Amino acid sequence: MARGEIVIDENFCKGCGYCSKFCARGCIEQNGDRFSPQGYILAVFAHPEKCNACGVCAWMCPDHAIEAYRLVEAQTTAHS
Amino acid sequence: MTDIGVKKELVAGRPDLWLRMENNPIPSCPGCHEPTAMRAILEALEELDAVGDAVMVVGVGCSFAFQSMVDLDYLVCAHGRPPDGASAVKRVLKGDHVVFTIQGDGDCIAIGAGALINAAARAEKITIFMLNNANYGTTGGQLAPTTPLGHVTSTTPGGRTPAHGYPVRVPELLATFQGVAYTARGAMNSPANYQKTKGYIKKAFAAQRVSLGLSFVEMLCACPPNWHMTPLDSLKWLEQTVIPQFPLGEFKDVQGASGKTQEATR
Amino acid sequence: MADRLFVQGNEAVAWGAVSAGCEAFFGYPITPQNEITEWFAREFPRMGRVFLQSQSETGSINMLHGAAACGVRAMTSTSGPGWGLMQEGMSNLANAELPCVVVLVQRGGPGAGTTRHAQMDYASATHGGGAGGYRNIVLAPASVQELHDFMPLAFHLADKYRNPVVVLSDAILGQMAEPLERKQLEFEPLPPKDWAVLGKAHHADGKRRGISIGQGFIPNPDFPTYLSFIDHLDKKTKQMRQDEVRFEALNVESARLILVAYGSMARACQGAMEMARAEGLDVGMLRPITLWPFPSQAIRRNIREGVQFLVVEDSLGQMVEDVETAVGERAPVHFLGMLARHEPREMGMIFPDRILEKIKEICRK
Repeated sequence: MARGEIVIDENFCKGCGYCSKFCARGCIEQNGDRFSPQGYILAVFAHPEKCNACGVCAWMCPDHAIEAYRLVEAQTTAHS
Repeated sequence: MTDIGVKKELVAGRPDLWLRMENNPIPSCPGCHEPTAMRAILEALEELDAVGDAVMVVGVGCSFAFQSMVDLDYLVCAHGRPPDGASAVKRVLKGDHVVFTIQGDGDCIAIGAGALINAAARAEKITIFMLNNANYGTTGGQLAPTTPLGHVTSTTPGGRTPAHGYPVRVPELLATFQGVAYTARGAMNSPANYQKTKGYIKKAFAAQRVSLGLSFVEMLCACPPNWHMTPLDSLKWLEQTVIPQFPLGEFKDVQGASGKTQEATR
Repeated sequence: MADRLFVQGNEAVAWGAVSAGCEAFFGYPITPQNEITEWFAREFPRMGRVFLQSQSETGSINMLHGAAACGVRAMTSTSGPGWGLMQEGMSNLANAELPCVVVLVQRGGPGAGTTRHAQMDYASATHGGGAGGYRNIVLAPASVQELHDFMPLAFHLADKYRNPVVVLSDAILGQMAEPLERKQLEFEPLPPKDWAVLGKAHHADGKRRGISIGQGFIPNPDFPTYLSFIDHLDKKTKQMRQDEVRFEALNVESARLILVAYGSMARACQGAMEMARAEGLDVGMLRPITLWPFPSQAIRRNIREGVQFLVVEDSLGQMVEDVETAVGERAPVHFLGMLARHEPREMGMIFPDRILEKIKEICRK
């Protein structure tokens, strides 16, 4: 399974909840313990281990606050 | 030195054509789908390699603020007048420009109905995008031509009834015009609908680039604050109330835009 | 192409626009300007230029907005009722700082009014309709030749100040025919329109261009705040007031009575002035060519002991207010208006002998 990681920009998240709703693997939670500078309840990337880098959260975020990455094993390099 | 590590490849993020204004969040309400509709349009332009020839013509509404946020040549027109402005832009630029409008439902089919209908009648080779959030968002949620029956707005406090007239279905209306090559209605309320709508957008641009006629895509957008709902509830309401009155799909697809004649798939 | 033509004023407008390099015309049918729209419909497609008939004058002015945003010389023409539908557009053009030309061929008002001549749009043309806060230059031709020559002048001034310019004609000037000498007028060079919207790939620096109708409200580098934009408009308006006043003065140095009239009424007044002078009456005339900025100085310069003014307008009096403002209490300002027409139906006119009668009445006192 591909492995992924997301970064949520806390200046831009408005706590709408779409990312956590559309994440098929429940990686994102919004339990109200983190707030954005504007006072929105932040979405939090709570379960990185489940993330498969599908990117749905990023394109469903209306505020373009999420960057989704696929983690790729770097080839071993024989020389420095 | 051997370096067993992990490389991060960006899968999805902020659209390249979206400009950040320092650390200010996008001037839209929590859960508003208009920036998502813009994302689909900007991604389509990039994928069609049309960014350099694109001219965005913006009307007056919630999307008015996007004029300074998008890295495209743009022109703002009077409320309801983007089809007039876009018609002139397309004709005077004479190149194979991709000229498209960004309008709300009020801008497009209330105050702008005259401009829209006549641009369609003239078969202007432009693409019209109507972001339909079922009310006048910027001004506090008044009744719009596309407000569903029963819906409470600040000017239908008891809910919309036939006394306030019936919702207007614009892609179906425009499909009857000879000058119109492609019309469709999509929605932003699910990943599947997002991808389907992006497909409609690319077909609309394709119809413009082969000069078949006017192309039109309506995008249903959530408007949580003016619907007096949470963002997540507004997704449900869109599914249960709005979409039944505004069916999704393609209503006209003249051959060439998608390679086959398809009167209507609804 | 023949250099000398015998054409109607409306057609002269079109020839003037072509000589100015006009590339696009948008119009809607309305008497008494139809000959202008029809000329462009016939000729522009042949020249590979843009002609588009709109669905309303609101459509025309917003198409003009689109074309002007692309840096193209573009124009429209209309008459009173259509002019009314263009007010929001004029205000938007001023905020967006878009150069273009609107030819307003006046007819009787208010409302549907008449389809015949009048001068009843002076106030709305010179004071800026729609959302307020802007002014625009208004040129008033008084002959077929001036209708031609004022088009390149209007396009030049529009580009110079990045502001719409109105050429104020009327049904008499538009429908009458006179000899026209077609010539190329020269103006001082102006900077290229680097601000024009063309599509990013079409700019040398590849950076986006944008034209907004909300400058100062939607932040942009040029005007970070609202007042920074309003201050910019203030400077532009002051510049136009200072540098763009135009008028014609005839026999005013010693005149005891100075006629003030523009456009078709200036023609009638010239006839009356000549008859009066032939009878030994010292009468002169001041003809404003720019109705805005109004030539107030030219009027004030001629105030002296015993001088009087007679304003002649084919309306109930609109320019007379600007004359009164310029003169103050320092000299009498008389008025002769459309109620002095030779007959009550809409084709009635204020003839030179009626003006002469008024001149004598004033001079007898």
